[in-house]
Amino acid sequence: MTRPYALLRAGFPYLKTVGMRRVVDFPVDVAVTRDMRVFALCRFEGLAGSAKIARVAWEDDANLGDISSTGSGEGQVTWPVQMLLDRGGNLVVSDEALHRITFITTEGEFVGMWGAHGSGDGELDRPSGIAFDADENLYVVDTMNHRVQKLTKDGRFILKWGTFGDGPGQFDMPWGIAVDELGDVYVSDWRNDRVQKFTAEGEFIFELGSSGSGDGQLDRPAGVTVDGDGDIYVADSGNDRVLLFNADGRYVEKFIGDATLSISGRAYMLANAKPLRLRDMADIEPQKRLRSPRSVRVDGEGRMFIPDYGSFRVQVYQKDAVPLSEEEIIAMPRSPTLQVT
Amino acid sequence: MGDRDLALAAHLMRRAGFGASRGELETLAARPYEDVVGDLLRPERFPEVEEDLVDRYYGWDSFHGPPARWIYRMVNTRRPLQEKMSLFWHHVFATAFFKSEHVASLNRQLQMFQRVGMSDMRTILLELSRDPAMIYWLDNNENVSGEPNENYGRELLELFSMGAGNYTEDDVKMAARAFTGWTFAQPIPLYPHGHYDARFEYRPEEHDDSVKTFLGETGRFDGGDIIDIIVRQPATAAFIARHLYNFFVADEPQVPAWPIEPPRDPEAIRILVGAYLDSDGDMRTVLNAMFTSDFFKEAQFRRVKSPAELVTGVLNLVETHRTPEPGIGVYQAAVTAMGQELLNPPTVEGWHTGKEWIDGGALSERVNFAVNEVGDGSKPGIQAIVRRVSESGSELSPEEFMSVCLSLVGPLTVGDETRAALMAYAESQGPLRFHTEADEEASARRIVRMVQLIVSSMEYQFA
Repeated sequence: MTRPYALLRAGFPYLKTVGMRRVVDFPVDVAVTRDMRVFALCRFEGLAGSAKIARVAWEDDANLGDISSTGSGEGQVTWPVQMLLDRGGNLVVSDEALHRITFITTEGEFVGMWGAHGSGDGELDRPSGIAFDADENLYVVDTMNHRVQKLTKDGRFILKWGTFGDGPGQFDMPWGIAVDELGDVYVSDWRNDRVQKFTAEGEFIFELGSSGSGDGQLDRPAGVTVDGDGDIYVADSGNDRVLLFNADGRYVEKFIGDATLSISGRAYMLANAKPLRLRDMADIEPQKRLRSPRSVRVDGEGRMFIPDYGSFRVQVYQKDAVPLSEEEIIAMPRSPTLQVT
Repeated sequence: MGDRDLALAAHLMRRAGFGASRGELETLAARPYEDVVGDLLRPERFPEVEEDLVDRYYGWDSFHGPPARWIYRMVNTRRPLQEKMSLFWHHVFATAFFKSEHVASLNRQLQMFQRVGMSDMRTILLELSRDPAMIYWLDNNENVSGEPNENYGRELLELFSMGAGNYTEDDVKMAARAFTGWTFAQPIPLYPHGHYDARFEYRPEEHDDSVKTFLGETGRFDGGDIIDIIVRQPATAAFIARHLYNFFVADEPQVPAWPIEPPRDPEAIRILVGAYLDSDGDMRTVLNAMFTSDFFKEAQFRRVKSPAELVTGVLNLVETHRTPEPGIGVYQAAVTAMGQELLNPPTVEGWHTGKEWIDGGALSERVNFAVNEVGDGSKPGIQAIVRRVSESGSELSPEEFMSVCLSLVGPLTVGDETRAALMAYAESQGPLRFHTEADEEASARRIVRMVQLIVSSMEYQFA
């Protein structure tokens, strides 16, 4: 698969909302299976259970039941951060309290786990972002060691890069990570309010973003992902939005949330007279908006899934872009112009 | 720096904060006392708690999140008096979760206390009267022209400013009418997508704009005018002074007894009232007068620690949770088990304090909590105590062993009975030795045990 030379960005409309409170509770990440089951990784610091993986059907928003639970036993999670599907269809979850990576089936059966707390090669101190490369090696963001490690799928050390700081190739409590189809790696450098791009071996390529809330600026970026066009999506958690950058790192647009009621949310409301009236009395504009999104994912169909952390749901958008060849669009000019024909 | 300086610094930090580690106390005790108080009164000189870090690791939560995060703030703030004043106002303006179950507005109220809690009485009461959690708690959302609801007007006078006996029923009615139309916009309901904040809304069409006579003054008063009159009253100065004395200095009788029982230290109240009236109710001025007074300095261990003070004091002793770690909810649960569920006080009167914190169940919760926390020798604060004890000599007599531990845990002054019990333990295995590795291991275990005995003493229950 090769990247298009350029894109006609026709639009990126809101598609639908999945889940509701008591089902998708404080989702921090999301994974969607080929049979369109939506898995939401949920985490909150409660007194009782504080983490789980919720399962919701894409078509009718049906609650398919939780898997995993809070704890430190096999298949359990305490402070889960990110979740992936591997090629075998199993879920891979990072846990920054237990300093380990856990593998479970989509039915919740324990498959395996690895990870030891520390700062040596292959050891982890609060692992957060995880991403596979084409060979199913796992890049792990090793947050409190301020580095990225590349490990085999069974946890053997391959390479690492990064030290604490704000220079190129340095990190301050990094969070998210993504690998594109060319093997390049993107890391959201949380406390430096930027995303850095590296080669597969950790050589710095470029960075995007700066501190702030303006277009293209970031306030504590969490998850990051890349699609087949090379577009870079950043969960700009502190600004309650997701930003889209093109493959060169140029800011394209932002998503602030456009939620409508999910099917389950709609059914709940129609069965409860009091909340119906209270909602009717309220200014509902804020309910559309994202609240502190901590991840963003895209699938092969151009769908963007945003776990809407503060609002107990996943907001989904649909990319609509036409790939362009070199013959269809002029080369990038050196400067902007006012002449359009 | 002498032991008295250290004891005074520890006293100040227990009262104006939530305790401090030994290292922090030594730094503070080396400075002029007035400078330390000056820093406490100017929280803006110090950075805020790193909220981005708290958000990242503790995240949001339904109910238990805000009080658990508050405990984390109490332990980690570099602005301890700002946080302690938030707890003070939470005691005075007690607003509970159980009525509204609306986390967002309770959280907003707490943030309001953090923001304006050290400003002046007028600002504080005005913010309180515009606070959605308070408006709902005392039904001011149902207080409309022609059908006044007197709940807020009454408690504003009785529990929040002047105290019973200093106003008439007519004053209550007039205050209530003045606050008609002070309500909040309907927030989006909890289901299906979580809490949304409520915000103050003034509805002129629901406000009673008629002429009112309140505390002898007449005019077309609204809520702001009522507050202006209230904050000028000597009764308000005396009521707030007594609250401050009870919270920061020494235990007073419970609030309902105040109209009939005189203050424990009338001269102290007079000093605080003077500071209030001279400064138009400026809290920093009143707090400065209190913390620099002799009556404050002499009041060591004359208050029973509230559960929040006990738990945060122990956490500062063991020096854990200095960054977000899993399990902060355990401490929220511990405070609750001891009788102080933060953000959920039992009534608008707040918690009964002093000896009423202690009953059989609460005492065992308090002692067990402290003993368990300090019993883990791997905790940084306990390791520091072991290290400091070992640095005070290669062999310590039982008397020295006990004394140095009492100093490091407090410094704590204990009575004869406790001293005898601690000495009995200290003597049971002879001198404390650090000659060999085996000595060090055995002595470390004995030090941990001694610290456990100290925190289970009656004296440790006092701030």
